[in-house]
Amino acid sequence: MNKADFLVELEDILQREEPCKEGDNLNDYEEWDSLSKMSVMAYYDKNFGVKVSLKDLQTVTTVEDLISLTGGKISD
Amino acid sequence: MTLATFKHVKISAIETVVPEKEICIYDEVEYYGGSVKKIDRMRKMVGFYKRHVADNETTPADLAYDAAKNLISDINLDKNSIDALIFVVQQPDVINPSTAYFIHDKLGLSDDCIATDINQGCAGWVFGLYMASQMIESGTHKKILLLNGDTPSVGIDPSNRNAAPIFGDGGTATLLEYSENEIVSQFAIDTKSYGFEAIVSPFSGTRFRCDISKDEDFEFLAKTRNEKIMNPEGKEVPLLGGYMNGLAVFDFTIKVVPETIKKLLEYSKLTREQIPYLCLHQANKQIIQAVGSGAEFDLEKVPYQAFENYGNNTMCSIPTTIGLLPKDAPKKNLLCCGFGNGLISAAAILNLENTFISDIKNFRKPEYVVSREQYVNTWRDKISGKISLSGGGGNRQDERTILLGSYGFVGPSQNNNYTQK
Repeated sequence: MNKADFLVELEDILQREEPCKEGDNLNDYEEWDSLSKMSVMAYYDKNFGVKVSLKDLQTVTTVEDLISLTGGKISD
Repeated sequence: MTLATFKHVKISAIETVVPEKEICIYDEVEYYGGSVKKIDRMRKMVGFYKRHVADNETTPADLAYDAAKNLISDINLDKNSIDALIFVVQQPDVINPSTAYFIHDKLGLSDDCIATDINQGCAGWVFGLYMASQMIESGTHKKILLLNGDTPSVGIDPSNRNAAPIFGDGGTATLLEYSENEIVSQFAIDTKSYGFEAIVSPFSGTRFRCDISKDEDFEFLAKTRNEKIMNPEGKEVPLLGGYMNGLAVFDFTIKVVPETIKKLLEYSKLTREQIPYLCLHQANKQIIQAVGSGAEFDLEKVPYQAFENYGNNTMCSIPTTIGLLPKDAPKKNLLCCGFGNGLISAAAILNLENTFISDIKNFRKPEYVVSREQYVNTWRDKISGKISLSGGGGNRQDERTILLGSYGFVGPSQNNNYTQK
């Protein structure tokens, strides 16, 4: 998966109506709540085989940080 | 992980009741700033829709008792043939004795039928099946009535949007019998006690001794009863309420629960194709689908309609799910998995091919359920000896009078029906 595809997916994961950008601060999103974090955990597990933990998500601030959590599974 | 196989246990009947009162999340738009879009988002992500909730007077035991009565009449069961009553409950009517004795009496079960409570949460149905199956397989018991009841919705502040839209209430009755013919059921139970604080009621037992008749304790409660704590999500929660770390529990659920399911499949030597449905505890749609995918099941086989229509009714959610399966759906090798407070993940492969499975029925409030004021008044009169103690269900009035008569508790039982004032 490349970054552009992931950003579209992320919009759906968060059930957000505006596009997500790599530099966005997640804390500025109204939708960045516990539900969204759970959705990210489930999505990463299913699609990347990456088990993201609660601690990992607490350290994340930007969309870019979220991308790096996949450990290189999202290409440019 | 505990693994077990039973070969002589038949699940003969499953009954589920839910309170009649239904709340739909679209009727609660005021809690979402008037935004139907926000509700749509919640419905899509978590499956919030409808839930059935009990009133303040109804207890888990009342729901379980009603389900038991339905079961007895629906399959025309001889009550005297039941030799064990197990009530799985986390909110008993009283701390002692086991609430199972109360239900035993109300149902008029025999003196040859043992009774006890088991304290379990969302994994409680599978856990109860496991305990009952052990008792049958050992040859000691032939017919066990397993009851489950819970009222997690009662007492939740409706403005608490983290909890209120999730929980529904329910009661179930399951009959397990000894079978000469081989019927295989298999269990896998993973006990992760390191997570016991992840879902807990810290202020509900003797760890927090608080006696409001003592001035010191009364003052302490007066000071702390309204205390709110800001959680890491930035939401205020009451200190003295139940505690759940949602994200930590989700973490456990997507890491541990699929592994329990996979382990059970491996142990049973069955393939996913041989499993018609994966009936999961109805925590919420998001969790159900995450566990289903994690266990590598086609999501078509993983129902979540029970959550959408009845809410998360904790230990009753798997029987509710089973009750909603199509009547003609294959029910051999049904894989069920309950998970939750403990923390525990408990899975079972069950054969329900010849099981009577009732529709989900509305709870009929038993006549003995009274208001708190009436309950307290009744106890005033029982303590003072003005009225007799309850009890003496079935045909045991005579024996009851002999036993309790010598202590002044004479006359027929009032059965908590306080109508004197």
